[in-house]
Amino acid sequence: MSSQTSCSKAKLKLNSLHRGWQRFAGFLFPSESDTWLTVFRIGLGVQVTLYALFLRSDWHYLFASSGKGLVGREVGEAITSFESPLIPKFGWLIAVGRTLNIGEETVLTVAWVGLLSAGCLLLLGLLSRPAAIVAWFVHLCAAESGGLVAYGADNFMTTALFYLMLSPLPDRYSFDHWVAKTKPKNPKALGFWRRVLQVHLCFVYFIGGLAKFLGNGWWDGSNLWRSLIRPPINLISPDLLVHFKYVLPLLGILICLLEVSYPVFIWLKRTRRIWLACILAMHAAIGLTMGLYFFALVMIIMNVAAFGVPSPGRSAPATHELPSYEGSHQGIEFGAK
Amino acid sequence: MHFFLLTAVCFAGVFWLIAQGSTILPSASDKYARKAELVATWCLGKEARASNPLRRGIATYLHAVGIQAGYSFFAPNVPSHHRLMLELFHDDGRVEYESPHVHGKAAALRLDSLLDRLPEERYESVREALVKMLAFSVWREHPDVKKVRATFEAVHLPSITEFEQGEVETLEPIFSFDFSLRGEEQQ
Repeated sequence: MSSQTSCSKAKLKLNSLHRGWQRFAGFLFPSESDTWLTVFRIGLGVQVTLYALFLRSDWHYLFASSGKGLVGREVGEAITSFESPLIPKFGWLIAVGRTLNIGEETVLTVAWVGLLSAGCLLLLGLLSRPAAIVAWFVHLCAAESGGLVAYGADNFMTTALFYLMLSPLPDRYSFDHWVAKTKPKNPKALGFWRRVLQVHLCFVYFIGGLAKFLGNGWWDGSNLWRSLIRPPINLISPDLLVHFKYVLPLLGILICLLEVSYPVFIWLKRTRRIWLACILAMHAAIGLTMGLYFFALVMIIMNVAAFGVPSPGRSAPATHELPSYEGSHQGIEFGAK
Repeated sequence: MHFFLLTAVCFAGVFWLIAQGSTILPSASDKYARKAELVATWCLGKEARASNPLRRGIATYLHAVGIQAGYSFFAPNVPSHHRLMLELFHDDGRVEYESPHVHGKAAALRLDSLLDRLPEERYESVREALVKMLAFSVWREHPDVKKVRATFEAVHLPSITEFEQGEVETLEPIFSFDFSLRGEEQQ
């Protein structure tokens, strides 16, 4: 009798474990169309193209070796190599070029042309995956060789290009699809990579908001004041800014609240649009008032691709309610039968 | 595994901020934060030898994904701004003042990012070399310059109240180097 009871208890436990696993699998592998991927690809195409164009005049100056450029590529590369010699850097390409009797300047020019071309190809959706791989690799080389002159936007670009490179390209709006008549991609693979991007953004904002909350300057508005008058990102005159001195503390607290609560309210159907709109407005404001255009653009692209594009057959944008993951009944392939 | 590493990187950054005592949390939390930071960095393999393959593997992956640094931008507070002023002593006795510069605005942000990194402890060993290279980048444009004095300064921005009272930014020299064509001497 007691063995029967313990057996049914074990069965119940197994069932609940199985249901939990299915729900988790359903959350990880929802069915998605490739519209978000189109937005992501085109957005990153624009980002990479602008990145290459805006750095055109300083490209050699930033990444040339010592004595030719600003600080020389070698210091940044030495610091990177200390962490791991396997991290890609321009030094690799230049060493290959040297064996082929190609000079450093030519290699850097080829790398720049490669990056620009990859950006344009991504924009068109032509050779989407090779273009994504080239864009990720050359940008990573630039970010690592110029590690000393890199900033936050570079990390986000690397992350976005990394996810794009692994996503199920090409999408149906790309030239690749039109030319090669590629088959539609697995909706669950599309859903998985979108989910990865969504969860990643939740980490970004939660940690960003939490860290800001720990600084007294975000409570009294002084951090907003300092960030807006800080050269060279001081696009607004302090004389104008001082008129809003009573608004700054409120804005500072709102930014922290918006970021720290993002992982909750971006998933709820009722609040998703509001949070997304506020986050996009915040990034647009960062771009316009501080001149951090690349940072603003990459964050807007990631947010729109992750949460701004409606899923097929839904009026509300993207994703599914957290408590009842769509796919809990769809993740059959992944969940045990 | 991907999100485990991301969690470790993010929390290592937050615990580091707390351990530095630069947050609003009471100082009693510093030592716990230091311990928690150690746990997070241990997960990233950073407590292992620099040549450890696991440590290198994790570092390579983090850099490849762009998640090697946390997301605590402008946190807990906005850091100080820094500048490098170069005094150029010409052969004919003239003295000119210049700063390292780039052509485009996108690259100017990067140069500024480099200057703000220089005071960090991790760059102490390469600081002089970097300042020398920055000075040399300007020197190349002025071949008749005999000597360059590079002064690295922290720029303290006024608060709103100070600004309303007419105060402007103040400069605090942190270090300076003299470079000449024959050799370099540090001050």
